Amino acid sequence: MSETFFPINDLLRRKLQTSLVLISLASCVASTLFLLLFSEKIGFGISLTVEGRLTYGFSIVFSRFIIFGGLLIFVVGSVVVSFMIFVMMSQRVRDIGLMKAAGCPNDLIFGYFMTELLIITFVGCFLGMALGILADFASTSFLINLGIQISQKPINFLLVLLVFVLFFILAVIVGAKPVLDTTRVEPARAISPIYYFGLSRESRFRVVSKSGLTFRLAMRSLFRRKSATIRIVVCLTAVFILVTVAVAGGIIAEQTTRSWVEKAVGRDIILIAHRQMCTEYNLLLSKFCETREDSQLNYTDKRYSIPEDVLNRLVSISGVKDVSARLVLKAQVKEVRNYTFNPETGATIPVGDDRKGESLIVGVEPGKLLSKWFLEGKVLSEGQGFEAMVGDSLAQKIFSVPLMQSMRLFDNDFAVIGVCLDPINNGNVTYVPLKALQSITGIQKSNVVMVEIDPSVNRAEILNQIRANISSVNPEFEVCELNEILDKNVGFLGYIWSVVKFLPLFCLSSASLCLIGYVMLAIAEQRQEFGVLRALGAKPKTVVTIISEQSFIVLLSSYAVGVALGIIITLLILVPKPLVTSYNVLEIAGWLLIAFAAIFVFSLYPATRFAKKPILEIMT
Amino acid sequence: MKTGKTAILASLLCKTYQMGDLKVEVLTDASLEVKKGEFMVMNGPSGSGKTTLLNIIGGIDRPTTGKIVVFGDDLSGKDEDFLASFRCHKVGFVFQSYNLVSTLTVAENVAFPMEWARKRGNHIENRVEELLELVGLQHRADHFPFQLSGGEQQRVAFARALANNPPLLLADEPTGNLDTKTSLKIIEILQDLKRDGKTIVVATHDERIFELADQKLHLEYGKLVTINE
Repeated sequence: MSETFFPINDLLRRKLQTSLVLISLASCVASTLFLLLFSEKIGFGISLTVEGRLTYGFSIVFSRFIIFGGLLIFVVGSVVVSFMIFVMMSQRVRDIGLMKAAGCPNDLIFGYFMTELLIITFVGCFLGMALGILADFASTSFLINLGIQISQKPINFLLVLLVFVLFFILAVIVGAKPVLDTTRVEPARAISPIYYFGLSRESRFRVVSKSGLTFRLAMRSLFRRKSATIRIVVCLTAVFILVTVAVAGGIIAEQTTRSWVEKAVGRDIILIAHRQMCTEYNLLLSKFCETREDSQLNYTDKRYSIPEDVLNRLVSISGVKDVSARLVLKAQVKEVRNYTFNPETGATIPVGDDRKGESLIVGVEPGKLLSKWFLEGKVLSEGQGFEAMVGDSLAQKIFSVPLMQSMRLFDNDFAVIGVCLDPINNGNVTYVPLKALQSITGIQKSNVVMVEIDPSVNRAEILNQIRANISSVNPEFEVCELNEILDKNVGFLGYIWSVVKFLPLFCLSSASLCLIGYVMLAIAEQRQEFGVLRALGAKPKTVVTIISEQSFIVLLSSYAVGVALGIIITLLILVPKPLVTSYNVLEIAGWLLIAFAAIFVFSLYPATRFAKKPILEIMT
Repeated sequence: MKTGKTAILASLLCKTYQMGDLKVEVLTDASLEVKKGEFMVMNGPSGSGKTTLLNIIGGIDRPTTGKIVVFGDDLSGKDEDFLASFRCHKVGFVFQSYNLVSTLTVAENVAFPMEWARKRGNHIENRVEELLELVGLQHRADHFPFQLSGGEQQRVAFARALANNPPLLLADEPTGNLDTKTSLKIIEILQDLKRDGKTIVVATHDERIFELADQKLHLEYGKLVTINE
């Protein structure tokens, strides 16, 4: 037999195994490539979607998820491919031992099996690449047909080539190891079952129950395939980390970011201002979820000033909990350079570059803020003069270390004491004390009033009272509910997170395939034993029980580690100061359990099919 | 020897396998009757259908046509769950290639048919000890099958077949791969079982086992020929 024919014949002879490895390898490469291509599109979609929207801080939270997800997807694909190739080559160990025993030289054996490895790896990766591109094309078309907004940019062939080359090299390296190891050991050792079974002597015999017996058989088989078992556990662990990060992270991050927006804008807060000012304020808030052009409104127009009478009337209405006057305007702000001292070198280091930009300036009464921002640093307090709190986008745009710096506004320096996440004007906002702003601008009146209504009173009634009072002073003034725009912003966040949560669905299907592959290998290895068990009185369901116990143990181990790591990563790295409610915990637990159950049920398909086969077909 | 009612009644058994376009007829109109407590031996060249006939009697395989009744149960029409229970409680099977469960130790291999049948723990422990003593393998109780020689594995297979004390023992070439000393041990066990009144059906070429038989059959190209009554 020529050197070329042996590997081809050997692969053809093991039809079932070859097809299984090819299908698994191709499907893993395909699903990984698909996930990378697709998540690139989703990521791209998100970046397109958020262009000109959100704030810097919110974008950071999303991009962390996308990058981490992409990374995990690649890790999962690599582990799956290495697992399948390792299992395939490990099953040739005994043949290698027999060939060595028959006098075949080492280099020839290595050549035979390496050729086999190269053929199967190349074909598998190539098929996977083609399938991945096809799957990406099909799902993109499908989603577009469903009316879902997704990028239609052309396939990134560099990424395709990169995945192909990386997976090919990885598979060859991983597959070559068992071949190389076996060609090095003595023939007697290679053909001995002890070498590949890994079992030697058990502790003393103990009687077990019928269910204990199936568990014993399941556990022993798992340990017999120790290496493959560890690999599948690692593989599924990576999948569960990804699923947890996407699902739990998605839910927690959605809840957290939603609370940031709600607390910054204020739930059930009403705005009172001139009709045009109300429209402008809504526009500034809606920039978070819609791309909007800046208006040319003159904020300092005297028509927009709130008369003192309005404030007095509002305060006198019973049921009004708090009234907060604000002065809103747009102005140029400038970063003020600061210096820091390096205690080690004694050198003075400059902080900041004197950058400048336009910002929305909001003068607020520190004792009546009504908003509770998610912030770094401190919130404005009463009695302090020239201090400022800047929005996250502004902090990113014109400051180096904002909390160490000051900003110049109307030729006055304000110390930056906090950086807050605020959806207004895409986070390009500066909060300063109202009195300080009034003193430096000379504008003595506010142009916006925020009102908090006592939740225990009849809201509609109070609103009518307020409307009546306001219109009696100036019919141009309006009462505007902020809940509508707040709901829009929160809904937009929900839409983006739902896209992020969509990612693990594909990864879960890849994990199911992988576990099905493992179960099929387990069945192939235990085929004879299952036949014997059936011949000696085991019912078909007993075989399913043994396989399902193996599958369950593998899945549970991966699940425990994967979910725990996923939650740690989410809470410690991906979402700062996460907000978790008991409903979130239930929701996350529910989704993760559904994922677990789905993979488990899918993995049992080969077992249920196998159990239906006649005993003699199993044993021969 | 005490023989009485019918243990096995096979009438016009046919078994055909389809291998691609080729139809292979393994058994043709095979009929036989084995009384309870009877020792029946059959021989025949390789591929004559001995193993197939044993498989059909043991409920592992089903005939293509014909009827097989074992201890009053017509096996041809029974579902897989019934057959599983039948094999567990009524039949002890000794396979030609031993077929021990490689992940279980010697003692565990002998114990598992009893654990399957939900016997009590004490009973199982005592029975395992008794059976391993019978086949002379007490010292190998905690070893795995691949650590045993062929003869030792065959003896474990015998011990396992007897675990649930089944009324019917089926053995396929029980001394086929064994040395003289081990073969004698197996024959000795068969003699003891015959004395205990078990119904035994053996497919073998071993003349020494043939000598023990109450009924001797010969199989040739799937057809049964009675050598003596």
